[in-house]
Amino acid sequence: MVEDSYTREEENYEDEELDETSFKSVKDAVLFAIDISSSMLTPRPSPDPKKHGDESPASAALKCAYHLMQQRIISNPHDMIGVLLYGTQSSKFYDENEDDRGDLSYPHCYLYTDLDVPSAQEVKQLRSLASPADADDDVLQVLEPSKEPASMANMLFCANQIFTSKAPNFASRRLFVVTDNDNPHADNKGMRSAATVRARDLYDLGVNIELFPISQPDHEFDTSKFYDDIIYKTSPSDGDAPAYLQPDTNTSTAKGDGLSLLNSLLSSINSRSVPRRSLFSNVPLEIGPNFKISVNGYLLLKKQEPARSCFVWQGGETAQIAKGVTTLMSDDTGQEIEKSDIRKAYKFGGEQVSFTIEEQQALRSFGDPVIRIIGFKPLSALPFWANVKHPSFIYPSEEDYVGSTRVFSALHQKLLESEKLALVWFIPRRNASPVLAAMIAGAEKIDENGVQKIPPGMWIIPLPFADDVRQNPESTVHRAGDALNDAMRDVVRQLQLPKAVYDPSKYPNPSLQWHYRILQAIALDEDFPESPDDKTVPKYRQVHKVGCFHDPRNARTWAEELKLQASEMFGGSVAATSTLVKRGAKTEAAGEHPSKRVKVEDSEPGVEDEVKKCYAKGTVSKLTVAVLKEFLHAHGRATAGKKADLVDRVEQYFEQKF
Amino acid sequence: MAEKEATVYIVDMGRSMGERHHGRPMTDLEWAMQYVWDRITATVATGRKTATVGVVGLRTDVSTHWDPCLMFGTGTINDLEEESFSNISILFGLGQVLMPDIRKLRETIKPSNTNRGDAISSIVIAMQMIIDYTKKNKYKRKIILVTNGTGVMSDDNIEGIIEKMKEVNIELVVMYYGVKEEDKDSRKAENETFLRSLAEDCEGAYGTLEQAVSELDIPRIKVTKSMPSFKGNLTLGNPEEYDTAMTIPVERYFRTYVAKPISASSFVPRSGTEPGSQAPVKGDAEGDALASVRTSRTYQITDESAPGGKIDVERDDLAKGYEYGRTAVPIEQTDENVANLQTFAGMGLIGFVQKDQYDRYMHMSNTNIIIPQRANDYASLALSSLIHALYELESYAVARLVTKESKPPMLVLLAPSIEADYECLIEVQLPFAEDVRSYRFPPLDKIITVSGKVVTEHRNLPSVALKDAMSNYVDSMDFVTTNDEGQATDDLPIDESFSPLLHRIESAVRYRAVHPNDPVLDPSERLTEFAHPSEDMVKNSKSHLEKLMSIADVKKVPPKTKGRKRQRETEKPLSGLDVDALLSLEPKRTKISTENAIPEFKQTLSRAENIDAIHDAVQQMAKIIESQITHSLGHSNYDRVIEGLGTMREELVDYEEPAVYNDFVRQLKGKMLREELGGDRRELWWFVRKGKLGLIGKSEVDSSAVEEQEAQEFLAPN
Repeated sequence: MVEDSYTREEENYEDEELDETSFKSVKDAVLFAIDISSSMLTPRPSPDPKKHGDESPASAALKCAYHLMQQRIISNPHDMIGVLLYGTQSSKFYDENEDDRGDLSYPHCYLYTDLDVPSAQEVKQLRSLASPADADDDVLQVLEPSKEPASMANMLFCANQIFTSKAPNFASRRLFVVTDNDNPHADNKGMRSAATVRARDLYDLGVNIELFPISQPDHEFDTSKFYDDIIYKTSPSDGDAPAYLQPDTNTSTAKGDGLSLLNSLLSSINSRSVPRRSLFSNVPLEIGPNFKISVNGYLLLKKQEPARSCFVWQGGETAQIAKGVTTLMSDDTGQEIEKSDIRKAYKFGGEQVSFTIEEQQALRSFGDPVIRIIGFKPLSALPFWANVKHPSFIYPSEEDYVGSTRVFSALHQKLLESEKLALVWFIPRRNASPVLAAMIAGAEKIDENGVQKIPPGMWIIPLPFADDVRQNPESTVHRAGDALNDAMRDVVRQLQLPKAVYDPSKYPNPSLQWHYRILQAIALDEDFPESPDDKTVPKYRQVHKVGCFHDPRNARTWAEELKLQASEMFGGSVAATSTLVKRGAKTEAAGEHPSKRVKVEDSEPGVEDEVKKCYAKGTVSKLTVAVLKEFLHAHGRATAGKKADLVDRVEQYFEQKF
Repeated sequence: MAEKEATVYIVDMGRSMGERHHGRPMTDLEWAMQYVWDRITATVATGRKTATVGVVGLRTDVSTHWDPCLMFGTGTINDLEEESFSNISILFGLGQVLMPDIRKLRETIKPSNTNRGDAISSIVIAMQMIIDYTKKNKYKRKIILVTNGTGVMSDDNIEGIIEKMKEVNIELVVMYYGVKEEDKDSRKAENETFLRSLAEDCEGAYGTLEQAVSELDIPRIKVTKSMPSFKGNLTLGNPEEYDTAMTIPVERYFRTYVAKPISASSFVPRSGTEPGSQAPVKGDAEGDALASVRTSRTYQITDESAPGGKIDVERDDLAKGYEYGRTAVPIEQTDENVANLQTFAGMGLIGFVQKDQYDRYMHMSNTNIIIPQRANDYASLALSSLIHALYELESYAVARLVTKESKPPMLVLLAPSIEADYECLIEVQLPFAEDVRSYRFPPLDKIITVSGKVVTEHRNLPSVALKDAMSNYVDSMDFVTTNDEGQATDDLPIDESFSPLLHRIESAVRYRAVHPNDPVLDPSERLTEFAHPSEDMVKNSKSHLEKLMSIADVKKVPPKTKGRKRQRETEKPLSGLDVDALLSLEPKRTKISTENAIPEFKQTLSRAENIDAIHDAVQQMAKIIESQITHSLGHSNYDRVIEGLGTMREELVDYEEPAVYNDFVRQLKGKMLREELGGDRRELWWFVRKGKLGLIGKSEVDSSAVEEQEAQEFLAPN
C-alpha cells in the first residue's frame, strides 16, 4: 500500500505542475459573465433552412458554458466554474433575495451557477437554461432582459466578490465575458470610469478578464470603444508568459448565423479552457558549454484517464465521498510512525540493504535540472519505434536569461529548416532521473477558425535506453507477390483519412466520455443513453465499398488475390493452421471452402458454422470448451471462465447480432 | 523460467596475492575480488534460488575439502595425491548465496601465508562439487578460476580432466592476473601458456583481470522475454457484417518498455535501537535493525456536528463510486461495470495517413510490434502485403485497438518495418481529443502587435547574423555514431545508453552489500557518458560557439532582480488609459476595505509617497487578516488569509520593505500559537509554513536584518 502510494506519488510528479515558489494553490476558477440583452437573445437564423441554426448569441454562450463545464468535470475535476448572467431583469446573489429589493448589492446580476466545482444538479440546471426549448417557464424567466442597462462596474465588482470569497488563493482566476455590446456606457462617462476602476481591482486581485466578443449582424465588435480600457496587457496569473505575449483581444470575433457563431465561440473558448500551467519553469537549455538560455516546459499531450473510483458514504442526506486516511505503523511495535522515520531498503540476499534518507537522495541525484544539447543528428535518425512516453513541450522564457527568446527562435528555425534534431541530456526537475532525449522543432498550426492548434516550440521526446529495448520475438516472413501488394495499395489509397492526416480533435476518447455520461445519468437519476457515440469505430460501410472496388488494372480484389497466392505458395492443403484447437481433420481447407468470405482466420472455417448451427438448434452447450473458446476468441470475446460462462457468452453474441 | 546455474569461483589466496602492484592502494587479491564480488552479487541480486554459487580458496593455509579422487574411481588416496590436494579449501559449497554468506566470505578471503597449492587440483575439486550438486540435471555449469599464476601446477592426468569437463559440460573460465611482460618469471609465463591452452582445450574462455575489472562498469542488461499483450484479429471492415472485410490474425509484443529500477520497501528502525543514533550500525546487525512498515486505512466523512468536523466510518458501510464534479455517485455492486464502455477485443483499421503529414511528437506511449499469428502462413502473407503497401505508399495506418474484452479502446498508429529477414508493424498510441491541451504561445518567427501589425525585427527575434551563427554552430556539432566497422551511421546512440538511475541503484545495493561501511559511490562514467557533449565535438565547434555567443548577447538576470515585477511603473490596460489617475479620484478609497482588500492594498502601496503610508497600509491589512483569522470557523478563511499574507509579503519584497512584514509576521505567529486569534490555529500555521510565508531574509532583500538561519528557524515546526 505504501509502496503503491509511493509510486503513485512519483507518477503524479509529472502531472502536478509543481511551483515551489508560490504560496498559491494550483487551481483554476472560471466565471462566465454572459450579457443578457435583447440583442443577445435574438436568434440568428441560418440562411440554410435545413440546419437547426436558430441559435441566439446568449444561448450559444450558455451552450459553451455547459460544454466547458462538462469537459472540465473530466479534465480538471478540482477546478471551479460558475455562470453569472448580467443585464437580467431579476437579480440573485447568494442569500440576497429579490423580495427585499432596494437593498440589492448587485442589481441585474444573476448568479445562476455559483463558482464551485460543479455538482450534477448544477450541470442539469445549466443544461436546461442552455436549451430553452425544453426549459420550464421559471427557468426562462431568468433570461428576461432588464429595461435599464446593467452597470458594468457593478458586474465586475460582483465578479470580484465571487472570486474573493469562493476561490481565494487560486493561482488562476479568469472572468470570461461574452457580449455583443462593444460600448456599454457610451454616453455615461462616470459609469465608464467606474467600470475601468473595477476592472483594475480585478487585475490587482489577479483575475484575468478574457473577452469573447460577438459581432452584431450589422456591426463589427470594436474593442477600442470600451474593452481596451478593461483588459490588461500581461495577465497577472500568467507571470511566466513572455512579456510580449499579447492577450487575445484580437482573436476572431464570433459572428454569422447561429451555428457558425456557436462553433467559433466554442473553438475560441476551448482554446482557453485550461489555464497554462508549466511542468517545469526556467530550466536552462544549454546549447553549448557555458551558453545557456532559459525555457519553460509544458505538457501539451497527456493521456487523460478517468478519475479513480472512491468510496461513497450514503448514510446521510446526500451521498458523500469518504476520505481515506492511511496510517503507517511499525510491524514491530504496532505504533504509529512518522513519514520522516521511514527508511528505504532493498531486498538482497535474503536481507535488507538499507540507505539513509540522505544516501537515498544522493543516489537519485544526477545534478541540477538541465536540457543539455550534446549534438545534432538528422531528423531521419529518430526511428519510429524509439519512443517510451509522451513528449514535453518547451518554450523560451526571458526570466533567467535575457535574449533567450531570440536564441531559441534561431535554433527553432534552424532545426526546422535543416530537418535536424538535437540530442539532449534531460533532467526536468531536481532529483528526476535523467534521460537521453531527442529535441525536435515543431511548427505552429492554425485551425480553420484562425485559432492556434499546435503552438510553435520544441518537443522533447525521451528515448529508450538500451535497457528499455525488447528483442523481437521470432516470426516467419512470407513476402507477398506484387499483385497482392498492388491490391492492398489500392485499399490504402482509397481509405485515407481526410487530408491524409490524423486529427486528434476528431476522436474523443469513447470510454472516458461514456464513463462520465453514465455517471451524469446516475447522478441525475436519468435514463442511460442507449449506445455510445464512438467516433473511433471504423466506418465499415465506406470500407466495404472500397473492398468491393475493382481497379481496372487489377483483375482481382485483395481478398481474391490473397486466396490465389496462398494456394500457390502453400498449396491448397496447407490451410491456415490453428493454434487454439488441435484437431485432426483439416478437410475444409480455405481453398476449397465455398464461402465467399475469405478470411485468414486462425479458426478453421468449420468452427464458425458449427457454432452457428448449434445455436440455431439450441445445443451450444454440447460443443467442447476448445471450440467455444476458439469461437469467442475469433470474435474478440473473453475466453476466461467455466464452460457455462463460455456458453452464455456465445449465446449473448448471437442474441446481440440478430 | 531461467535456466538453473551452478558456478564455482576459485580464488587464488596465495601469499603473493597480498602484494600490491601498479601503484594501486589495494592488494592484488582485493583488486581481483572486485570482479568476483561483482559477479557473485549480480547473481545474488536476482534472488533466484536456482542460481547457485560455490567458492573455493586456492593456496589457503589449511585444506578443507572432501575426497576428490572418488571422481576418478581410484578408490583410495595415496600420499602423493593427498599432497596435491593440500592448501585448497571449499569456502562455500554450492547453493544460493545470502547476505550472511557474503559477510562470512568477506572475512575469510584474505591472502594466506603460503604459496603452496595446485590450481589444477582446485579445478578438480570444483568439478567434483558441481558434479555432486547438479547430478544429471539440466544446469548451466561453470568454473571461474582467478589466479596470478605464480604457483606450481601439475599437469598429471590433464587429458582426463579435460575429457571429464567436456563430458559433464562445464565451462571453464580462467581469469588471469597478469603483470608486465618483462616482469614475468619463466614459471609464470609457463603457467600462463598452460592455463590458456587448458581453457581452450575445455572450450572455455581465457581473459585478463585487467580487462574484466575495466569492464565492470558496463551495465549488464537484463533480457526480458516478452509475452504477447494482444492476440486477435487485425481487421479492415466488419467481418461480422460484410464479406469483403479482411481479417488477419496477429500478435502484439513490446518493442520498448521502460525498465524500472528495483523498488525499495519502507522500514523503520526496530524499537530498542537508539532512536537518535546516526545511521544505526550497518553491517552485521543491519538486517535485524529494521522493522517493516504496515499500513492501516480508515475512512472519514465530514460531519459538521461532530467535534473536529469529521467522523470515522466503517469500510463496510461504504459503496464503490466515482466523483462527478462535486457530486458523489455511488455505483451498486451489481452494475459496477455499467460505467465501463462495452468493447470486444480486436484491432480495426480506421484509415490511412501520409507519413510526412504525421508529427512525430504525437507518439504517446511505448511502442509495440505487430506480427502475424505464429505458424499461420496466411496471416503472414496477408500482413506482409499490408506492410509493403504502407511502405511503398509512405503511409501509416490508424487503428482502434482493444486488447481484451471490456478494455478501453486505444487509437494506435501502425508503421511498416521491413528488415532483411523480419517484417512487422510498429505500433504506438495516438492522443485522443481529451489528451491534447491547447495552451497557446505566440509565433517564434514574427511578432504580431495589438493592432495586428506583423513585426519581423525585434529584440526577441533573431537577426540574420544570429541565424547564420546558429546554423554554423549546429552544423559543426554533428553527433557521430559508428557501427562495428567504425563507419559513421545515422543511428542514435540507443544501444550504448544505459538507464542511469536503474544501474546506479542496482550497483549501489550490490556495493553496499559487500562494503556496508563505505559511502555511496558516484555514478560510473559509463552511465553519464551522454551527460555532456564529447570533448572532440566541443573542440571542433568551439569557434562557432564563441561567435554564436557573442552575437546572441544573452545576459543572465541577476538573481536579485528576478521576479521583481515593477520598477514603480504603473500597470495600464491595453488602451494605455491612466487608471491610477481615476483611482485617486475615487473618494471612498482612503481606507482599505475588507471585501476588496487585496486590490486596495496594492493600490494604496503604489500611491504611497513615504514609509509612513506603507506602514499605515500594512497596519490596516494586518487588522483585516487578524480579524479574518479570528472569525474563521475551522479553516473556512484560511485560504483568504494565506492569499492576503502572500500578497503582503510579495509586495513588501518588491518595495524592499522587509522589516515591516517581518514585524507583522512575528507578531502574527505569536498570537496564533498563543491561541489569541480564536483558538487553535496550528493548522493555519502549517499553511503559512507550506507557503513559505515566513520572515523575509537577506537573500531575498539585501536590506533585511534577518539572517537566512533565522528565517529558516522561524518556519521550523512549533
